[in-house]
Amino acid sequence: MRMITDLLITALYTVFAQNLVLSSGLGMSEAIRVSTRPGTFGKFALMISGFSVVTSTLCSLIDSVSSLEGMTYAVRAAIYAAVLTGVYIIAAAVMRFVFGSSPKVLGTLGIAALNTLVFAVPHINNSAAYSFAGSIGSGIGAGIAFVLAAALISQGSRKLAENDEIPEVFKGTPTMFIYVAMLSLAFAGFTDSNIFG
Amino acid sequence: MSNNISFKDVFIKGAVIYNPVLIQLVGLCPVVAASTTLARAAMLSAVLCIELIVTCVISSAFLKKIPRWVRVPLYIIIGAAIICPLLWYVETQTLLNLSLGMKIFVPLIAVNSMTAVHCEQFSVKNSVKLSLYDAAAAGIGASFIFIIVGAVRELLGYSTVGGIAVNLPITFKGMALPFGCLILLGFLAAGLKAFVARVYPEDSENGEPEIKPVTQASEDYSQEATEVELFDEFWTESVEEEKPDIPVPEAPSAEKDEPKFSTAEEIDELLKSLGIDIDIKGDKQ
Repeated sequence: MRMITDLLITALYTVFAQNLVLSSGLGMSEAIRVSTRPGTFGKFALMISGFSVVTSTLCSLIDSVSSLEGMTYAVRAAIYAAVLTGVYIIAAAVMRFVFGSSPKVLGTLGIAALNTLVFAVPHINNSAAYSFAGSIGSGIGAGIAFVLAAALISQGSRKLAENDEIPEVFKGTPTMFIYVAMLSLAFAGFTDSNIFG
Repeated sequence: MSNNISFKDVFIKGAVIYNPVLIQLVGLCPVVAASTTLARAAMLSAVLCIELIVTCVISSAFLKKIPRWVRVPLYIIIGAAIICPLLWYVETQTLLNLSLGMKIFVPLIAVNSMTAVHCEQFSVKNSVKLSLYDAAAAGIGASFIFIIVGAVRELLGYSTVGGIAVNLPITFKGMALPFGCLILLGFLAAGLKAFVARVYPEDSENGEPEIKPVTQASEDYSQEATEVELFDEFWTESVEEEKPDIPVPEAPSAEKDEPKFSTAEEIDELLKSLGIDIDIKGDKQ
């Protein structure tokens, strides 16, 4: 019961209180690109959660090896990168050779696996000293946080595109940045951040 | 077309007109999350430039024949092989005391989308020399933005620049948060758009580049039938394994140094693959 509670609390914290995309900027480039494809959000949530969970679980197990406790962040980062790459290559090879997936599906897999969000989750789990269940919750939360961010960006920017009152020079990427900034500010409100002072 | 593509030609397009951060919207994570001071921004810029240039050159020289789904993770391995030793050296052999945030965010550059985009869209289709030019231009363009953002965030957020105190009547600590950076990036993007329209009108329509929001086409993608076409081409298109919609002809040896996305259509294709719909009317045909 304690494990499930840890898992759910960490997942909720990762999605809302510390939305890794909007509060930390992790995977933001990918979220903006994916926001043009609303039909794929569910697939992305599943894939990012899957990669985050598997990668952070493996990294969590590696972190628990007592002889590796004192390793530097550089060594830790190298190990995490190797784990992430290995997980992606195995998943892609299975999809390719066992299920005969098309290169387009492998492309989706690439976006979902190889981004700063998925790579950052094990680092965050380690620095926040999450439990094993917490690490899994953090991975699940990362996928949901990504899709929540992409959905918010998608809906808002569609409205902005219909707005003719925006000055010409601000149309396009400038308004996109400012709109995402407003979303980020909203999530900063959950974290008790000091804005003025 | 000319066989003598200069660094200046590549630089103007790669660093200014299609600035990776402000126009292509890649490499946002390090600038938004970690470039909170000038020193941090300078360090991230240096690491990014080194990683981008080395990875692009290696991919241009050795990775052209490898299938894309294998090639893309190799970029991460190359990036990690460059960054982790650098970080280890800084951690153990120098007196620099990196913050926890930097120890986490510096390695994240290895999985930066900027590297994958430039390697896939340019390096594996062009010569080593042009790849070097492109990577250097993108790196310089991104670094310029990193430095400006780092300096402004430090000034407004902490009333210092490069660690030197500047007496401002108020500080705005929100600049150190991602939203402060994003607002700044919005104004910088608008400034760049106005600058390009004024200085390079041939790269814009009627003196103004027509930059449509990346989600304008989202309704087109809402149907299941089109779902297979949803994903960025740079991830899904493979030179060896699939037949690309627009075949890339083999460059004759005399034109080896021509960049292969030098036409307006190919630049459009590149930007569409990044989710940015920019109409480059009036470009050279």
